[in-house]
Amino acid sequence: MINTESNNGQPRLQAVDLSKRYEDGVLALDSVNFSVYPGQVFAMLGGNGAGKTTAINLFLNLIEPTSGEAFIQGISAHREPLKAKANVAFVSENVMLYPNFTAMQNLEFFVRLGGKTECGTDDLRAVLRRVGLPDEVHHKRLKGYSKGMRQKCGIAIAILKDAPAILLDEPTSGLDPKAGFDFIRLLESLRDEGKAILMSTHDIFRAREVADVVAIMNNGRIIMQENASTLSGKDLEQVYMQYMAGHNLETAV
Amino acid sequence: MLGTLIQKELRAIILSPKFTATFAVCSVLLLLSVFIGIREYKQTVAQHETAVQLADQRIQEISSWHGMRDKTYRKPDPLQILVSGLTYDIGRWSSIDSRSTVKLKNSAFSDDPIFAVFRFVDFAFIVQIVFSLFAILFTFDAVNGERENGTLRLVFSNAVPRAKYIIGKCLGSWLGLVVPICIPIALSLLMINIFGVPMTAGEWGRVALLVALSLLYVTLFVVMGVFVSSLTKRSSVSFLLSLVVWVLLVLIIPRGGVLAAGQLASVPRLAEIEGLRDGHAKNLWSQHRKEMEERFLARHDAREERDDDDMWAEMKFEDSARKDVQIQIEAYEVRLMEDWDRRKATQQRLALTLSRFSPAAAYQLAAQTLAGTDLSLKPRNEEAMRTYRKEFNQYVDEKQAEGGHVGGIQISIGSDEGMKITTSRDNAGLDIDDRPRYTLPQQQLAAVIQPAVTDFGLLAFGTILLFAGAFVSFLRYDLR
Amino acid sequence: MLRTIIDKEIRDLLRSTKFGYTFAVCAVLILLSFYVGASNYQTSVTHHEAARAENLRQLEGLTDWLNVEQHRIFLPPQPLAALVTGISNDIGRTTEVEARGELTAHDSRFNEEPIFAVFRFLDLRFIFQIVLSLLAILLGYDAISGEKERGTLRLALANAVPRWKYLLGKLIGLFGTLSVSLLVALAFGCLMLPMMGVPMGGSDWIRLVLVIVAGLLYFGSFLSLSVFVSSMTQRTSSSFLVLLVVWIVSVLIIPRSAVLLAGRAVDVPSVDELASKKASLDSDLWSDFRSALADFSVPGEKDPDKLMKAFNDYMDSLTNVRDDQMDAFASRLNEDRYNRQLQQQALAFNLARISPAASFSLATSELAGTSLALKDRYRQAAAEYQKAYASFMKEKTGMNVGGRMIIMKIGDDEEKELIDPSELPAFVYNQPQLAGSIGNVTTDTGLLVFFNLIFFAAAMVAFNRYDAR
Repeated sequence: MINTESNNGQPRLQAVDLSKRYEDGVLALDSVNFSVYPGQVFAMLGGNGAGKTTAINLFLNLIEPTSGEAFIQGISAHREPLKAKANVAFVSENVMLYPNFTAMQNLEFFVRLGGKTECGTDDLRAVLRRVGLPDEVHHKRLKGYSKGMRQKCGIAIAILKDAPAILLDEPTSGLDPKAGFDFIRLLESLRDEGKAILMSTHDIFRAREVADVVAIMNNGRIIMQENASTLSGKDLEQVYMQYMAGHNLETAV
Repeated sequence: MLGTLIQKELRAIILSPKFTATFAVCSVLLLLSVFIGIREYKQTVAQHETAVQLADQRIQEISSWHGMRDKTYRKPDPLQILVSGLTYDIGRWSSIDSRSTVKLKNSAFSDDPIFAVFRFVDFAFIVQIVFSLFAILFTFDAVNGERENGTLRLVFSNAVPRAKYIIGKCLGSWLGLVVPICIPIALSLLMINIFGVPMTAGEWGRVALLVALSLLYVTLFVVMGVFVSSLTKRSSVSFLLSLVVWVLLVLIIPRGGVLAAGQLASVPRLAEIEGLRDGHAKNLWSQHRKEMEERFLARHDAREERDDDDMWAEMKFEDSARKDVQIQIEAYEVRLMEDWDRRKATQQRLALTLSRFSPAAAYQLAAQTLAGTDLSLKPRNEEAMRTYRKEFNQYVDEKQAEGGHVGGIQISIGSDEGMKITTSRDNAGLDIDDRPRYTLPQQQLAAVIQPAVTDFGLLAFGTILLFAGAFVSFLRYDLR
Repeated sequence: MLRTIIDKEIRDLLRSTKFGYTFAVCAVLILLSFYVGASNYQTSVTHHEAARAENLRQLEGLTDWLNVEQHRIFLPPQPLAALVTGISNDIGRTTEVEARGELTAHDSRFNEEPIFAVFRFLDLRFIFQIVLSLLAILLGYDAISGEKERGTLRLALANAVPRWKYLLGKLIGLFGTLSVSLLVALAFGCLMLPMMGVPMGGSDWIRLVLVIVAGLLYFGSFLSLSVFVSSMTQRTSSSFLVLLVVWIVSVLIIPRSAVLLAGRAVDVPSVDELASKKASLDSDLWSDFRSALADFSVPGEKDPDKLMKAFNDYMDSLTNVRDDQMDAFASRLNEDRYNRQLQQQALAFNLARISPAASFSLATSELAGTSLALKDRYRQAAAEYQKAYASFMKEKTGMNVGGRMIIMKIGDDEEKELIDPSELPAFVYNQPQLAGSIGNVTTDTGLLVFFNLIFFAAAMVAFNRYDAR
């Protein structure tokens, strides 16, 4: 089932037999394998509790894997977390950021955390403009921002880090159609720059629109993984429902 | 990296509207309290001066050495502006004469209980209650608040070591909360200076230590807030937890400790001790009286050969016999009081040890020690007054011996000569300009620091412990 | 409809961890305060009895009432002072009684045992005033803004619920649940009092119940204040902050500042000034007395008993004149000071009453008999006792015994009988009448009710205009 044709070199993000069992015994991730290559958008599709966020948390070493390994640029996220994380940017779902800071201040802080020491105001402004935040809001506190604006700010942070790989956790949830559309354009431009992008989502339409590889997850397992090219022409939604139904039937038996 | 983290923390605190509000409230409160404290101090000083002057006038009016008595007043201390401590609770004056022992009487609160109804707000109180509360309010969501905001994951998607993050968090919060506090503190100290409160270099040294102590105390609560917040996942839980901990530490444990000690080591009332003393004194006096009676009767039988001078010699003898009895009584009283003081000291030690589980108690005790308004205020003053009493009595005795005055009135009624009333021979104005004067010795800086060292140490130890706790629990914190 | 809201509120509260934790802490503190108060009372009674016994014992062995010196009376511990200490630890408790002259009470508990003054006491009033008011804030600050943040406010108001009903239901639910749970803890505490041997009479129980009622009213005023602030703010964090500042100002700042302001506004002469004036007059009178004494002579009289009688009469008349002058002077000074003090008090308390904490504190100390009036009442009782004591002594010795005189009778050889110290009149301190106390607390209780109403009304107005989006 695993099918990766576009191997332009080494995978930037790689999960090898990645498993996670929580303290309460729930198996959130069950021997998952996948790779994300430069210039590729890898979309993890699945319902709540499918294990998408767990996978991302494992890449960020926010939790420890029960077995297996997550690699960023070939560096184990678990064994050398700091070195690994220098190569990845992260955008989370519904990020609040610091509500009392302005967009510029938030950016400034995270850019420095990302390891960049010299970053002029102009650069920050340019990125904010690129993600679609007009100049007049750059110096407003985030308290007054809408969800979409905050999300744009989060993406700006990721862009500024200029890391080879980007992790996106439900980036489009709660965005209006216009913001969602803008976001997809942004993602495409990032892919075109050669970033490897791992995205978790339950938005089938966005996934189809932008993903190069789509993996459908359920109960901690990847139950289907296809290249977007192979999927084209088929109705992804139908495929998704089909797989889910089949899988549920499987588990029910 | 650390710099960035600290800078962000600083900014997050200072930019928040709640900081502006609380900073303003704290500053106003602090300045107001010091202002009131200064006026209160000045009034106390004026009252003290009048009282001393009046006592001086009184002593000039006394016409016989026999009736010579003085009244000593406890001198107000400028540091009571900042830490009023026990100043208003313990007696202000003691009478000094050969008959009664030194005992501080009439506390300011017992004279004017209206001030006791709501007590005073001083610098130490504001630091102890208000600052600690605000320190916790600013830090209870330090870690879990970021988790809820989603920024924690974002931060740790970067190459940030956890240790650096938690150190940055503590240092940043410390800078953001403790340094701004220094501004109103400096202003209030400036106010003390401007209003012309006389302070010696040693006293300024004690004030500096007091400020250092206060900052240490606030630091402890800052670190505690970070610790609690790194123990819990949700900020609503840590908010509740830290508030409960605050109530216990600041309001309950100090009082509870003292009350528990009162239960464990009970000390009899002073009145009971005085009853014992008086009973003993009565016995001695009645014995004395019997002896005098016998002497008198013997004398009475031989009254033909006696002249006036013999009479005065006799009176002198009586006087010295009386003094002997007094010395015995005093010795007994000293023994009683020493025993009482020992029991009290045991109780106090126990109480303070129990209370010191709370940093608020340690802070308050150290602050009072530094300001000299602690539990030692009473024994210190009484000790000095006792020394003065000795000097004073010695002086009066000498003068009395020189002038040959015995004083008093003797009334004798006999079946033969009828009634005879004798007053002392002379009661012209007495020259008392060379009498000793009462002064309270200045407290040495070292003497103040030494007892405060324990509390300083406790606060520092607590801070380090809490920081270690925050560090360890954050290393294991679930960042999701 | 209203019942549904109240019902929801009660369930919501009872299931919250917030309530569980804070109520547990408060219940423990309430029980602790009762326990500590009761055992403190016992200790005080033991000490009081010991001091009294010792005072009588030291008079044993005397053969003449003339030699009675240092007779002391003590303010007995009050059962309710254990729960509302008021000023009972600040004022002098021991009075040395002499047949003549002004009496002053010495040795306040705090002066005698300053260790207790370091941190003060943990009494029921303190628990109510500080801890329970914080609890009220903690449970009320997110009443409206919290529902808004959770999105439940919009859902609730999407139904046909009038806003006032919603708010009223909320307040009733909150207040009802909390006061019932507090009452349970308080009832257990009250049960502890008779069990630990605190003698509680009928009127004491009524007083205690009234103290608790005042406490609940105070608690209610902070609860409705919290709901009011909560319906003024959009976010819970800001409503808590505002409430905390209000709490600090009204509980800690206003009462103290009012007293200090009144201290500035009304000038009360210091005790030292008075004492010095009195002492100066006293010494003048004493030297007059001395010279007048020398003038005594009864020509021709030789019989010692008759002489003694004549001398006593002469002394008596002189002393009476001296005392009358002294008394007149002292009472003029005292009265002036007392009047000024009253003026100062009235001003201070009226200013302080802006804060519910002050009203509560004044009402409870009045009910417990530990208000400022305690000092005056004790002084009056001591003065009454002085009269009884003086007439007793006059009866026993045939003369008005004043201080300073050492009287020695010489020549009687016959064995004298010992005096019986228990013949001395006993000092009784009576609590003020219940009706009087209740009359005195109507203002403060009324104010507490008023605070409840005004905060509730304000909450209503604010909530009606609340942006519930």
